[in-house]
Amino acid sequence: MLRLIIVRLLAAVPVLFVVSLVSFGLTLLVPGDIASEMAGPTATAADVARVRAELGLNQPPLERMVQWYGGVLRGNLGRSILLNQSVGQAVLERLPVTLSLTLMGLGIACLIGIPAGLLAAAKARRWPDQVTMAGAMLGLSLPDFWLGLLLIYVFGVLLHWLPTGGFVAPGTDLLGWLRSIALPAASLALTQLGPIARMTRSAALEVASSDFIRTARAKGLAEPRVYARHVLAGSMVPILTVVGIGFGLSLGGALVVEQVFSLPGVGRLVIGAVLRRDWPVIQGGLLLTTCIFVLVNLVVDLLYLWVDPRLRENA
Amino acid sequence: MLRRRSFTAGLTAAASLPLPAIAQSVGQQGRKGGDVIVAMTAAPPTIDAMATTAQAARNISMHMYESLYTRDEGANPQPELAEGVDIAADGMTYTFKLRGGVKFHNGKPMTSGDAKASMERYAKLGGSKDALKAVAAFETPNASTLVLKMGSIFPGLIEAISSPRAPFVIVPEEECGKPLGQIGNIGTGPFQFAEYKPDSHIKMTRYDGYAANKAFDKRDGYTGKKTPYFDSVTIRIITEGGARTAGLQTGELHVLETLDVAAAKRLKDDKGIKTYTMMPWAFLTLMMNNNWGLTANPAIRKAIQAALEVEEIAAIASDGLYRLDPAWQYPGTNYFPGDAGLDAYVKQNQAKAKAALQAAGYNGEELQVICDSSIKWHLDTGTVAAEQLRAAGFKVKLNVMDWPTVNAARVKPEGWNLWPLAMGIEPYEGPYNVVGFFAGSAPVQIKPDPVIEDSNKKLATQLKLDDRKAAVKAFQDRLYDQAIAVKVCDIGVIQATRANVMNYAPYRTQRMWDCWFA
Repeated sequence: MLRLIIVRLLAAVPVLFVVSLVSFGLTLLVPGDIASEMAGPTATAADVARVRAELGLNQPPLERMVQWYGGVLRGNLGRSILLNQSVGQAVLERLPVTLSLTLMGLGIACLIGIPAGLLAAAKARRWPDQVTMAGAMLGLSLPDFWLGLLLIYVFGVLLHWLPTGGFVAPGTDLLGWLRSIALPAASLALTQLGPIARMTRSAALEVASSDFIRTARAKGLAEPRVYARHVLAGSMVPILTVVGIGFGLSLGGALVVEQVFSLPGVGRLVIGAVLRRDWPVIQGGLLLTTCIFVLVNLVVDLLYLWVDPRLRENA
Repeated sequence: MLRRRSFTAGLTAAASLPLPAIAQSVGQQGRKGGDVIVAMTAAPPTIDAMATTAQAARNISMHMYESLYTRDEGANPQPELAEGVDIAADGMTYTFKLRGGVKFHNGKPMTSGDAKASMERYAKLGGSKDALKAVAAFETPNASTLVLKMGSIFPGLIEAISSPRAPFVIVPEEECGKPLGQIGNIGTGPFQFAEYKPDSHIKMTRYDGYAANKAFDKRDGYTGKKTPYFDSVTIRIITEGGARTAGLQTGELHVLETLDVAAAKRLKDDKGIKTYTMMPWAFLTLMMNNNWGLTANPAIRKAIQAALEVEEIAAIASDGLYRLDPAWQYPGTNYFPGDAGLDAYVKQNQAKAKAALQAAGYNGEELQVICDSSIKWHLDTGTVAAEQLRAAGFKVKLNVMDWPTVNAARVKPEGWNLWPLAMGIEPYEGPYNVVGFFAGSAPVQIKPDPVIEDSNKKLATQLKLDDRKAAVKAFQDRLYDQAIAVKVCDIGVIQATRANVMNYAPYRTQRMWDCWFA
C-alpha cells in the first residue's frame, strides 16, 4: 500500500507541472492586467502603464515564470498583488470555508443519496423508484446558483430560519457556523445528490441479483437488512467513484455557491483573481486545487482497497 | 505685491451639483451604538486610498481618511483638514492653514509635515497624480501651514485635490514611504480601521478622538461637521444582487450601495425598507475610436450619431431610471454649457443616417463594438446600440468580454470602433476629468483633437471662470459637431436602508457618519 501511495504521489508531479504550465500560459494569453483594474475604468493608457511599473509587472514572462517555479520549489507560491499577502496564506485562510462547504454538501448528498438509491433499487420500477429518480434528475438539472437564490428566498426571506449569506467561523460560534453553512451546503448537496442516488441504484440492482444476496435472502434475512448490509457493501466501489468525482465537482460548484452566499472561500478568491488578473493567486489557487483533486483521488483509490479486499491483491 | 483671496469665500471654480433635496432631520437627536452593516457590490482592488479610483475603495476610504479639501453636498470644493486656502493673485502660490487639534487614529497630532509627505506620496503614485503636475514644491513654514509653490498656473488645483476620485488623503508622515498597497490604514476620519478580510468584509470602529470640523454645523457632502454614532461599520462585499436584496429584507443588512430598480419597485410597499434615488449618478456614453476603421471617418461617426435612438438605449440600460440630457456637464452646475440646439444631434434620424452612410461610401465594412458583461449599463448599451446600427444598415460585430479584457482593448489604437462607458465620478467632479478624458497624451478617442486639446489647455490655465466655461462649451460643441462620442443620458441609482437607519442621506458613497439606529 505504501508503494501505491508513493507511486501515485510521484505521478502527481508531472500533472501539477502541466497544470501550472497551462495556467501560466493562459494568464499570459488573456488580455488585460491588474494594473488596469487598479487604475480604474477611466484611466488613460499612461495611467495604466504607470501603475503596471509601480507594481513591478513589466518583467518578461519567462523571467516571471522561472522566478515563480523557483519559489514553488522552495514552498513559496508568490505574493498576491491585490491582497498584499502571500498566496499560500491567502489560500490557507480560505480553505476551511471551501472545505467545510464541500464536505458538508457532499456529506448531505451521501446521507440522502445513498439510502434513496438503495430504496429505488429495492422498489425498482415501482412508485418509490420513480419518485426518487425523478427527484434525482430534478436536482441534477437545477443550476446551483438558481437553487441557492431559491433557498435564500424560502429559508431566509420567507421563513427567517437561516441567514441569507456570510460565514461564521466554527471557532467563534459553532451553531452560527452550522447556520451559515446550511443553505450553501444544501444547494451543493442537491446538485450532487442526483448522481449519487442514480449510481447507488444501478450498482445496487446489479449486486442484488448476485448469488451471495440470494443466499442472504435464503438465510431469512429481512430485506432492509439485506440492502443495508450486503447490497450496500457490494456497491461501494462505484459509489465511492461517484462520490470522488462529486468532490471535484463540488469544489467547482463551490465557486458559484460562494459567490451567491458571499462566503470568503477559495472559489471566491480565485474568481476575484481571474476577474482582476491577480496572476500569482490564479496560479497558486489552481495549483493547490489540483493538489486537492490528486489527494482526493488517491484517498478514493485507498478506500477501494479497504472496501473490496479482492483489489488488495492487485495493489 | 500678491493679492490674496480666500478660496472658500469666493469660490470661482466650483461645480455645484444639484442633488436631491434630503431632509437633514433637523432637531433629531442622534444615538450612539450598534454595528451597521453595509453591502457593497464589488471588492476594492486595494484599500490604499490614494492609489485607486475604484468606487468600492471610496466607499471604505471616505470613512477612514480626510483630505485638505473635499466636496460638499453640491460637489463644490470645501475645506476639510484645512481651515481654508489663500491663493496668490498670480495663481502661483497656495497657502493652506491646517485645522488644529486633529489627531490620527494612532493618536499622533496631524501637522504640515504629514500633509507634505502625503502630497509627495500622492505625486508619486496617486490615482490622479497629474493634478499635482503643476506643483513645483511643497513647503512647511510651520507645523500648521502647507504651501504649494506652483511651477505653472493651474486654476483647477483645488477642484482637483478636493476630488474623491482617488482622494488626496492625509496620512502620517511615517507611512508615506511605503509602496502602493502596503500603507497602514491610519487616517483622521470618523471611523478607524479594525479588520479587513478581502472577499468578505471590512470593519471600522468609531474613532472617539475624532475632531469634527467646527466651521460647519452639520454634515455636508464629504465634509461638514461629521459625527460618528455607530460603534462600528461593517462593509460586506456581496456581489450577487438577489442576495443583497434578500439580506436587506431580512434585516441582516442595513444599507445597500445599490438596489436593483426592479427590486425597488417590488419592495416599494415594504415598511421595513427605505429607498433613495440618486439622480444623476453617471453619464451613459458611447465612445468612438476616431483613429481606426470606419469611425476614423467623421461622416460615418455622424451616421452612427443619427442612427441611434438614445431614449431606447437609456430606458433599457437603466431599467427606466434615466433622464435625457445631452449636455456634457450636469444642468445647474457652474460649467453647464447649455443644451440648446443639441436636439438635432440626439434625435434618431434613420434617413439622415442612411444618407450619411451613402455619402461616406460605406461598403459593408464591419463596425466593431466592444463592451463588458460586468456592468449592466455597458452590456445593454452595447447590445441595443448594435441592434439599432444594424437596423440602420451597418454590419456590426458585438464583442462582449470581461472588464479587464475590454479595458485592455479600448486603450489600443486599433481593433475597436464603439465602446459603451458609464462615467460616474468624473462628471460629479466637474469638467476637468470629463474634458481631460478626451485630451492629453492618451485621449479616449485615441487621436487627439485640436479643438479639444485647446479647450483642455484653456480649462487648465485660464484664471477667469468665464474663459474656462467657454472652453467647456467649445469642448461640447466639438464633441457633437465631429460626433466624437455619444452622450446617451444621465443615469441614476437607488440606494436603500432598513427603516431603522435614521438620518441617512444618499450620496456618492454610503456615509455612515451622522446616521444612527432608531
